[in-house]
Amino acid sequence: MVVEKVDARGLPCPQPVILTRRALQTCDALVTLVDNETAQQNVTRMAERAGCTVRAERTAEGICLHIAKAAADQSPAAAVAQPVAASPAAGAGPLALVVGSEFMGRGEDAELGSILIRAFFHTLGEVTPQPDVIVFFNSGVKLVVEGSPVLPDLLALRDGGIEILACGTCLGQFGLKDKVAVGVISNMYAIAEAMLGAAKVVQL
Amino acid sequence: MIEKGSYMAILVASTSHALRAERVLHMAGIANKLIPVPRSLSSDCGVCLRISREDAEAARQALEKAKVQIEEIKPFCA
Repeated sequence: MVVEKVDARGLPCPQPVILTRRALQTCDALVTLVDNETAQQNVTRMAERAGCTVRAERTAEGICLHIAKAAADQSPAAAVAQPVAASPAAGAGPLALVVGSEFMGRGEDAELGSILIRAFFHTLGEVTPQPDVIVFFNSGVKLVVEGSPVLPDLLALRDGGIEILACGTCLGQFGLKDKVAVGVISNMYAIAEAMLGAAKVVQL
Repeated sequence: MIEKGSYMAILVASTSHALRAERVLHMAGIANKLIPVPRSLSSDCGVCLRISREDAEAARQALEKAKVQIEEIKPFCA
């Protein structure tokens, strides 16, 4: 088994993800070294979606992510690691909900848009089907931070197993990166993969 | 946050009434949540305020005092 090392310390997002993904194309197991938790989460999520197992270890050098293709640990039958998005056997893939605004719909009346989005996220907890992933970008990221009117609903949805991604660029633009109260800060790779890998994308 | 169970819905004439009522309840320290009107109460598209059953009377008084017009307060199960 070839074990490669990727030193991604000090590299800006999304470089750690790109380098790890590239390395995974040529080896079965590798160690990616990162120096912050956002990079750790982004690399881990990408690797797990690619069917790898990830074990994190904090060392003096940084955070070591031991990544192994599932096939390296298991039977040869599981040799081909498939992205999660392409794997569901029944043909029905993930349902992605994308939220590109803090308001629901378009129009002049921001108050109405805010009422609608509050009502929507309340209702989302009570209806089926539920999305597998909810992606927040642009001013939609204002919904995942402290003080958001829909935060209790989003916490309940997350606890119910729904993945919540928030665009890091957008959070940075609004100065909200340290106010995130639910979900994972994500880069455009994770966001694009969540949308393009979905069987259905629903946009508010 | 109010958990699932039995609630009261404060039904109002318009969304602006709902927002005013929300502010009054917030000031009065009464936990509430703006929700779509439950299917069991109406098929109209509209929002109302959900409160717990034990807060119904306090909410009614607070809203009357603040002169926020409400249509009715009805029980429902979520």
